[in-house]
Amino acid sequence: MSQEHDIDLLNSVARGDSQALEELYLAYHRRLARFLSRIAPRYETVEEIINDTFMVVWQRAQDFRGASRVSTWIIGIAYRIALKSLRGNDGLLRAQSDDELREQFVEPMQETELRDLVARALSYLPLEQRLTMELAYNLGHSIEEIAAITGCPIGTVKARMFHARERLRRTLPLLGGVHESELANHIRSR
Amino acid sequence: MSDTEHAVDHEETWDLLPWYVNGRLDEPERQRVDGHLHTCAACRNELAAQRQLYELMIPDSTFEHLPTAGLKRLRQHLAPQDTMIEPSPVAPTRRPSSARRPPWQGVMAASVAVMAIALSVLAAVLWSQSQRRAPPADYYTVTTATPHTAGEVIRAVFVSTITLSELQAVLEDAQLKIVAGPTEAGVYTLAAATSQPTDWSLQRLRRQPAVRFAEEIVSAPDATHTR
Repeated sequence: MSQEHDIDLLNSVARGDSQALEELYLAYHRRLARFLSRIAPRYETVEEIINDTFMVVWQRAQDFRGASRVSTWIIGIAYRIALKSLRGNDGLLRAQSDDELREQFVEPMQETELRDLVARALSYLPLEQRLTMELAYNLGHSIEEIAAITGCPIGTVKARMFHARERLRRTLPLLGGVHESELANHIRSR
Repeated sequence: MSDTEHAVDHEETWDLLPWYVNGRLDEPERQRVDGHLHTCAACRNELAAQRQLYELMIPDSTFEHLPTAGLKRLRQHLAPQDTMIEPSPVAPTRRPSSARRPPWQGVMAASVAVMAIALSVLAAVLWSQSQRRAPPADYYTVTTATPHTAGEVIRAVFVSTITLSELQAVLEDAQLKIVAGPTEAGVYTLAAATSQPTDWSLQRLRRQPAVRFAEEIVSAPDATHTR
């Protein structure tokens, strides 16, 4: 979808054209559902966040100044709503120690099982790290785009990704490409 | 190359690897990472690990949700604008990063926060209403109460790659049988095959890695909408 077309639609939304809002909704539903599906505890929550996102788009379309792409702006709204709405679920599972977690990850056999293991390991990450990881690997965004979506400096984006990778390496032995002693060299405080 | 130069390159490369993997580095960055990868085994190992993670995080394209139900819901929310509940007078907490953003973005973030509060209040009200009577919505989700015949106890979604024999094994283990489905969204309706309680079957199901989702069907005697 082109940026010009998106801007046209958003301008129409700003003038109160609900048809244009529906067109934007249809254009972005798939991408937002993809972004949120692994993070939300159930699919209803995904739909709620998408719905809330477009209610905000409806209310705030006239505030869009073109400082970023429309896609970045919309995904940014979804990011903030997801942070707020999912915050309560965060941290519950993280009370477990990494050792306990590792025990749950027995020798995987099939790709579907691997995918499920990864999904579970991701669920133990802090929310901002999970969302950053989804933006990079699931939606394929660049560092600059993620910085715009999350409203964070580039350094923060890299740091969140760095910490997510460290944590996943500890909980997912299948990613154990790096030897323990080498790993020690990479751990630095930020 | 000096040790210091190598160390700087190493840190930079290490940080950039995820975007080397997803193909979103600009050309000079990509070349720099390429150069360092030739000399650093640790980074090559990490690259292999991140590639694997990336492959596993790309979603299963065979399992997708249609936007139609959500769109209906958005229309319902758009129509009664005046019935929106006033946001509670809680000042949105200021994010530390807001100082670095242009002022209009701060305003937007604050309004998003207010909207989110308003919407969550609305959602809570709608939810509490739905507890008292059947949901008024004409869309349905996998956990929405819908009319069903006695015996249907669980709705479940399986991984898309499940084979027939795996499905049979899962159902046998949980003492369930398929009575309907799969729907558009891949939802199966299951009934008890023996006299095992629903809770027990649900626990057995949820223990299976091939089960993406399993939820007890909630009875709704006065529900009027159809599937």
